Amino acid sequence: MYNVWLRNFLFFRKTFVVSLFWTTLEPLMFLGAFGFGFGHYISSIEGMSFLQFYFAGLLCTTAMMVAYFESTYPNYTKMTHQKTYAAMLLTPVSTQQIFFGEMLWAATKGFLGVLGVFLISSLFGLFNSNFFVVAPILFLLSLVFASFGMIMISIAKNYDSFVFSTSGVIVPLSMISGTYFSLDEIPYYLKTAAYIFPLAHAVRLVRNVLYKEIGWIDLGHIAVLVVYLMIFSFIGLRLFRKKLVN
Amino acid sequence: MSLALNAIGLKKNYDGIPVVNGISFDIKPGECVGILGPNGAGKTTTIKMIYGQVIPTAGELLVLGLNTKNDITQIRSRIGVVPQDDCLDTDFSALENLLLFARYHNMDSDLAHAQAEHLLAEMKLSEFKHKQVEALSGGMKRRLAIARALIHKPQFILMDEPTTGLDPQARLWIWNYFERLKANNTTLVLTTHYMEEAERLCDRIIMIDHGVILDQGTAKELILKHIGTEVIELHVGSEKGYWLSKVEQAGLKFQEYEDNIFIFFETTESKQSFISHIQNTHYYVRAANLNDVFLKLAGYQIREKS
Repeated sequence: MYNVWLRNFLFFRKTFVVSLFWTTLEPLMFLGAFGFGFGHYISSIEGMSFLQFYFAGLLCTTAMMVAYFESTYPNYTKMTHQKTYAAMLLTPVSTQQIFFGEMLWAATKGFLGVLGVFLISSLFGLFNSNFFVVAPILFLLSLVFASFGMIMISIAKNYDSFVFSTSGVIVPLSMISGTYFSLDEIPYYLKTAAYIFPLAHAVRLVRNVLYKEIGWIDLGHIAVLVVYLMIFSFIGLRLFRKKLVN
Repeated sequence: MSLALNAIGLKKNYDGIPVVNGISFDIKPGECVGILGPNGAGKTTTIKMIYGQVIPTAGELLVLGLNTKNDITQIRSRIGVVPQDDCLDTDFSALENLLLFARYHNMDSDLAHAQAEHLLAEMKLSEFKHKQVEALSGGMKRRLAIARALIHKPQFILMDEPTTGLDPQARLWIWNYFERLKANNTTLVLTTHYMEEAERLCDRIIMIDHGVILDQGTAKELILKHIGTEVIELHVGSEKGYWLSKVEQAGLKFQEYEDNIFIFFETTESKQSFISHIQNTHYYVRAANLNDVFLKLAGYQIREKS
């Protein structure tokens, strides 16, 4: 599993400038536009500044987006055109090791994106020592969406297939999970709907740790993420194996 | 020592359609065996079952005494595979490709470097070792894929159409290299549809088509058994009927293909006596070869690439 991860890391070393550019710079642009720009007009939300409120959401959407994109497009290429997985399977590396190695890498990349966003926004006054507590949560969240991506590459027919998961799942989730607005102030059924999905739990959790009090309910949020991770990995691994070995 | 490979009643169905339909064969250690067949015969599927990329629908497959069902990881650590489409990692250079594979094989880093450099030199790739894979020619890529299969010093090597698409020089070089591997007592299994390649390299040939074994033996045995020693290619044009009846009367083995009749002779005398009857018709005499066997057993129809 480590060797699969390492292969991606070695490639990342060659291309990290481009890679970090989109993983870090893009979220920072959102932070500028929404957090600093738009947030300027909002006095407070859930008892904190809009900038803080949005920052917690942004860390989560960054983890989700980067991990998801890293585990879909590049991995689909490795699975089909580049035949990287077929080559790995000529060696003692197993499909399971490839699956988890790739997932771990995509999550690493998601986490690197988060780290980049955190470090640079620290320069703009958003440093928060509780970040070191949310770091593992964000890594867990990255793993959840990395495993979701692994499911998608195993059922994709071509690159266009990812439009469904991106526009149908990832982008809507980034909107409705309490990133831009407070879930406490919307109708109950909408709030419940948002909490069906993992991102809302992560956003709430990260926000609680960074700026609010934490309580027993937060363990529930973690549990939801863990359950999602287990379900996605279980389904993903089965589909992935079927795609590679038949 | 036990067998290098033992396949018993190997079957593979795709959507209920058999691609490999119950084949059984053995390979002894140090043997070079060629699996021959037209496109879609089941060659690649058979090879893929040996290295575990295709799971047999039925049958038993033992590689180096290990069962592909349970011990595929162990099998893969002991065999080298050159797949049909190279599968080189295009994100990396030639040297990096070898080092990555060494890692996948859990080799020690110093040993991996030494072995990679040695193989690059052996494959005449040393000066290109820092080139990205995409920048290499077809022949170089194939040599790199062979080097990659040898990185962990396997004693059993599988090659799926190792020289397809290469120019004659590259092919000749690879043949020479395989002969060196054979001299080292390496077990080689290769698929090909180049008869010359099979005739030159393989100790034994397994001819397959439609997922079944048509026949197996040394090239010499197969040629003698199915064809004879010499062939007359007779260009008969519109007089095909006349010539066919003549050949049949003489009790000769033959094959017809469009305006041609290929007549097979077991002895030079029978050939000479037949030639004495030929008048005003183009003919061409040559030694019987594996190609004749192949076409006789697999037929003359063009196969769609599957």
